[in-house]
Amino acid sequence: MNTVVLPDEVKPVMQNGVPAIVATCSADGIPNATLISQVYYVDRTHIALSFQFFNKTIRNVRENPQACVALNDLQSNTKWILDVQYDHSETEGPIFDEMDMQIEAIASATGMSGIFKLRAADIYRVESCRKLGATTASSGSS
Amino acid sequence: MIPGKILAFLEDKGTVGVSGTRDRNLVPHIHYVSGWSVEPDRRAIRCSIAEPYTDHLMSSLDDNGQFSLTIEQIGSHETYQFKGDYIGSASLTDSDLAAHERSRERFAKVVNQVFGFPEDICRAYILRPSVVVRFTVREIFLQTPGPGAGQRLFPPEEKQ
Repeated sequence: MNTVVLPDEVKPVMQNGVPAIVATCSADGIPNATLISQVYYVDRTHIALSFQFFNKTIRNVRENPQACVALNDLQSNTKWILDVQYDHSETEGPIFDEMDMQIEAIASATGMSGIFKLRAADIYRVESCRKLGATTASSGSS
Repeated sequence: MIPGKILAFLEDKGTVGVSGTRDRNLVPHIHYVSGWSVEPDRRAIRCSIAEPYTDHLMSSLDDNGQFSLTIEQIGSHETYQFKGDYIGSASLTDSDLAAHERSRERFAKVVNQVFGFPEDICRAYILRPSVVVRFTVREIFLQTPGPGAGQRLFPPEEKQ
């Protein structure tokens, strides 16, 4: 089981308000890529994604826990690629409450009030982390 | 065949594209998309990808051929996901570069309006592509956030 420590510089990218991307794969091998409004920093080895609708991403990670997350930093023209493993879901507690509050704020700011509704905080363990610039790439520490 | 409304969306409205593949171990991979266009038969899409985002791309496609493409109009959140089968790769043509330029301009304008980033920064974020992936569209799903998200639009779902 690989786990990497997220570099400090990735945390503000998760909080910049720019949508991220998550890719998953069903048990029968069909990939799925979607844009998501929020990636939540849990600790140096875990992130959380919001479970709002019972969509393909949610179904896929319960069949096959492997996922890939891409974070966007327009200001520095870099992207972060995280390989992650779904670990568990939380439907109450401080992580859930914090995500719920942030989603309400995002919904309000993007005209999606009443549509975004947190059902669970899905917690993922980070297995690898790469920073991609226009011409360079580097890896997170193991 | 890609329905006319979705064809128009791809040609005139979509502002950001991402694609997904998976390798032989069912590990998914993300590939940012620099541009897209629908082939004349309206069954296949050409999807251009820049070199930094090609890790695992060709090895995954050669292994299993599964490809997904998601296009969103930033601001309205109108989003469609196209799932299909890899046909082959191709060198960039002038037409591919023109499609890249059009989608990059739409991206720069809308991200400037919605997020306030200067347009030149937004343009630089969509890299010049280096390869074209061609795939036939097997299914199209609505992914606009809301209760209809996940509905299959093509081929249409059978009514219960």
